This record gives sequence, structure tokens and C-alpha cells, in this order.
Amino acid sequence: MTADNGAAAGLAPAAGAGVIHDLGYQHYDGPRLGRAAIIRALYWHSLRSAFGIGRGAKAKIVPFLAFGLMCLPAIANAVAVATSPEHTRIVDYDTYTYALRTLVMLIFVAAQAPEMVSRDLRSHVLPLYYSRPLRRLDYPLAKYAAFTAACLLLLEIPLIILYLGTIVSVGGGSAVWDQTKALIPGLGVAALWAVLLAAIGLLLASFTGRRAYATGIIAIYFFLTWILARILVNVASHGAQPPPGPVPGPGHALVAASFPLGARLPGLISPFTVIDGVRQWLGGTNPGPIPNPGSAGVAYGLMFVLLLAVSLGGLAARYRKVGAS
Amino acid sequence: MTAPPQLRAGPGPGDAGTAAAVIRTEALTKRYTSEVTALDGLTVAFAPGITGLVGANGAGKSTLIKILLGLLPPTSGRAVVLGHDVTASGERIRTLTGYMPEHDCLPPDVTGTEFATHLGRMSGLPATAAKERAAESLRHVGLYEERYRQVGTYSTGMKQRVKLAQALVGDPRLLLLDEPTIGLDPAGRSSMLDLISRIGTEFGISIVVSSHLLGEIEQICDQLVVIDGGKLLRSDTITSFTQVSQVLLIEVDEGTAALTAELAARGLQPRRSGRGLLVQIDGEQTHDTVRDAVADLGLPLNRLQQQRRRVEELFRDNGDEEERGDG
Repeated sequence: MTADNGAAAGLAPAAGAGVIHDLGYQHYDGPRLGRAAIIRALYWHSLRSAFGIGRGAKAKIVPFLAFGLMCLPAIANAVAVATSPEHTRIVDYDTYTYALRTLVMLIFVAAQAPEMVSRDLRSHVLPLYYSRPLRRLDYPLAKYAAFTAACLLLLEIPLIILYLGTIVSVGGGSAVWDQTKALIPGLGVAALWAVLLAAIGLLLASFTGRRAYATGIIAIYFFLTWILARILVNVASHGAQPPPGPVPGPGHALVAASFPLGARLPGLISPFTVIDGVRQWLGGTNPGPIPNPGSAGVAYGLMFVLLLAVSLGGLAARYRKVGAS
Repeated sequence: MTAPPQLRAGPGPGDAGTAAAVIRTEALTKRYTSEVTALDGLTVAFAPGITGLVGANGAGKSTLIKILLGLLPPTSGRAVVLGHDVTASGERIRTLTGYMPEHDCLPPDVTGTEFATHLGRMSGLPATAAKERAAESLRHVGLYEERYRQVGTYSTGMKQRVKLAQALVGDPRLLLLDEPTIGLDPAGRSSMLDLISRIGTEFGISIVVSSHLLGEIEQICDQLVVIDGGKLLRSDTITSFTQVSQVLLIEVDEGTAALTAELAARGLQPRRSGRGLLVQIDGEQTHDTVRDAVADLGLPLNRLQQQRRRVEELFRDNGDEEERGDG
């Protein structure tokens, strides 16, 4: 290096050889944020990781695939509304093609809840969090808030697309107002989905550091309870409604005898049908995966609260224990 | 300033020496169950500088560190870190303290920079400052070139250094390092020790470094605290420590019993150690005494080696002293 180069670079010309820039240790005297800000930082970090942002391309596949799938009905609706002469919306805000929504949420929660918590368990990184100015339950709190927000984004952005896709085609302020009035309960129902599924997913994922196991546990739990609830509802309502046609097979008498509740209670088995029971109990009239619970609606409300409380309580207990070891 | 405090075991809370202590514990006790006592009435003070926390596995080192971080409530007694009580002000202590755990704690699929930056934020640094401090800490531990590589591709030595970097990222006033040299090869150990020494002396950060190997950490420590079975065995400055830790190993092919008696007669206190005998070195004359004893008995001398006593032996000897001291 010549003296000219050194001078050009704004450095003192070195005697021949390269310069070692040992700046020494600099103490930090800037601001230090408090606990709330740290929780917020963990929340953002976790929310980004729920969609694989800040991770490799592979981590983005499932969340973005899920998001794309979830948007399909909204996009199809936008096209249909624009092209049909009556401009009628073909997808409901509150049920939103519930079979697809169930499938997508099952995949998303099973794949991404382990991303939120199992990774940290696997790599034993929790002591590093706990040795910082956080309290025991701040970590699960930030994770739950972030995962709920991630589920909300996944559920509600398609609703917004559905809304926008509809109102650009319908004419007149009153039509737009009608759409808005229909959208708001839809957003509320989506919030029910997010709040409950995030809690259950995180609790199940927090039991193991192995992602594959965690994904399996969540998928099996959601899938089996969903299938079971659907089968029981189908069997019960099949026998119950005296349909014109062939009489159902064995067990018909038994099921038919318990008609009023037989078809309305199996929905309590699966979180997805619990959410739908609450929706119908709160006044949702669009047909869902289960019959209207009617007088049993309050049971769905209680079951929702119970599932949520058990999941969050379990999550808190889990992290109290992990932190102490 | 007065001379560095001479910290001795035994009662002395409130004596002049402990006023400047970085860490002070008083009758600190932790029982997990009625049978398992991890810490048993530990009263000790850690002076500023580098302190070695020495004890066998299960001696209570990790429990002590967790209590000092305010993560584990003591069963009784109290501990004060940087002037803050561990029970009342754990969060404040954790703001001022960096902790490097003993066990693996690294996610494999993030880069060194991402890891250190995120943990900087978790230490309460704003986003930009966390990035700067992460780069700074990685540079100080010698991982500047490798900072954009995934942690999973690091060697064991680099993993230990990135663990140290995350402890350093929040610019702590105190570092608690739990067995930082574990799993490293000799070269890695010595560069890790150099690094710790540099942080302690040049960065002005007080350090507690735990180890089950006394010989390893004593070269970089100003003070040693030795615990065993949750009790304090000895707390002293390094100079007074090394004096008592020098021993001479004597191995003869035959006549070990006769030599034992002869050495005892000459005023040494030989102890059996495997096939040989150990005597404490009290200066040059010890070697002469041993030589003369072996020669006078005409025994075939196999080995005469000066060595540090293993930490277990320190426990045994000092344990006897402590029993007297505790009374």
C-alpha cells in the first residue's frame, strides 16, 4: 500500500505493511429497552419466522402455499362477482369454504407451531432467553401473541380480498354497506379460529423438540377429532332426519332415539367444529360442518373457553417447568 | 485504593473486604428435595476481576450461577450481584450480566450474526445497536470472518466462541461463564482462556468462570472460589492458592511403605496416590528431603514429578481445614 492510497482512504500512511485496526472494546452507552420492548421484539421475530421470513427459502414453502390456497376462494369470488350479471358474492364471510379453511389451518398450524417453539427446545436456546431481562412467562406470551397474529393474517387477509373483490363490482353505497356488515362478523369468526388454534398448536408443539413429532402430534389430533366429529354428526343426522329413501343401517334405532342431542353434540369433539358451534350459537346462520347446536350452543361456548384455558394454562405450566430445569 | 481484599472462607459478611465485591452470598442454601442439597450455607464474596469457580461435577456450580442470575430462588440465605438482591431484582441483574451456559444452546440454522443480533435485542438493545454490538462481539471473539456462516457449520471452538459472543453482546458488567472450555481440544482451550483473560483485563468486565479443572483456569484467574458438595472449601487470591497446590509425586518400584515412614519421620506428610506417594512442596528443600530419603533407603526410584494437585485432592485437604475453621 502506498502513502497515496492511505491518504486517499483517509488513513494515516502506514509504514509499509498493513494496518491492524484494533479499535479496542467499546462500551455501549446507548439506551436499554425494558421488558415490554423485549417482548415486542421477540413477538416480531416470531411472527416473521411463522412465515419463514428471515429464514431460508425452504421455510417459506408451507406458509406461503397455505396463504395462496386460502386466498383462492376470494380470488375466484372476485372473478365470479365481476363476470356474473347479478354481481352476487359466492363465498360467505363467516364460513369461508370451511372445508378448505380447515385443511389449510390444519397444515399451517401443524407445520408452523413447531417452528415457533420446538426449534428453541431442540437447540436448548431457552436458557439464553431466561438469562436476559425477561420473566418466565414472557417467552410463551410473545410466542402465543405472534402465532395468533400469524393465524389471523392467514385467515383475515383472504376475507379482506373477498370483501374488496366484491365491493369493486357491486354498485352503490348501500350494497357496499351490506358487504361491510357481513364482513365484520366474518372477521370475528376468523379471530375465534386464530385464538384457539394457535393456543392448541403451541401447547402440543411445546411437548417435544423434534419438529417432525410435533407436526405429527398436531396433525393427528386435529385430523382425527375432525373426522370423528364429522362421522358422528353424519351418522346421527342421517338417522335422525326421517329422509325419504332407504333406512340407515344398524344402530339406527339407537341414534334416532337420541336425536336432539345426538347430532348436535359430536361437534364438541373437534376444535374446528367447536369454533363453528360457537359461530352458530352467536347467531351465524350459514350452514357449517355441524348442525345448528340450538339449545346446546352454550356447551360450545363453554367448550371453546375450556379448550383455550387448558391450552394456555398448559403452555404456561410447560414453560414454568422448562425454565426451572 | 486499598489492596485487593483477602477473601477467606468463614464468617465475615460486612467486613471491609466484601464492600467492593461483585457478588456476595450469605449462608446461601438451595435444596431441591429433602435429600438433594445443591448449596449448603455458602458465604463467599467475589472480587472484581476474573474469579474461577472450581468444583467437581455436581458441586453446585451451575446451581450457584442460576441463583445469581435470579432464575432459581434460594431456599434460604441471600445473594447480592452488582449491588442487587437476586430475589428482588433478578431482571436488573440480568440486564447487567452476560451468561454463557455449559451446554449446547445454539440453533444450527441461523448465522452467527443473526443469532447474536437477536440475543442482543433480547438483552434490551434497540435494533440498530443490536446489529452493531453483534458485529462488535463477534469480532472480539474472533468470528468476524465467519459471521455470515450458519452456526451449524461451526467447529466446536467456534461454537463456544459464539456462545461467548452472545453473552458479551449486551455489554455486561459481569460475565458468568459456565465451563467455557468444555469439549475443546488443548489449542482451543488455550485460545478460549486467552480470550477470557483479555475480556477480563482489557474490557473491564468482571468474570466468573466455572470449571471442574483447577489447573486449567488458574492461569487466568485473580481469585479462586472452590466449592464441594455445595459448601465453600476455600476462597483466596490466586497466589496463595498456587502455593498450596504444588505437590511432588514419588514412585518407587518397591518399599513404598518404608518410604512413607521415612518421609513422615523427616517431617513431610506423604499420602498414597495410586502406586505412588504425594508430598506437599514447601520450597526447594522438599525435593532434597525426598531425594535423601530415597537414597538412604536404597530404593529404586521410578518417578519424581512436580505437579499440581488435582482438584479433588484440594477438596480433601482443605475440607479438613474447613472443618476446623467452621467449628
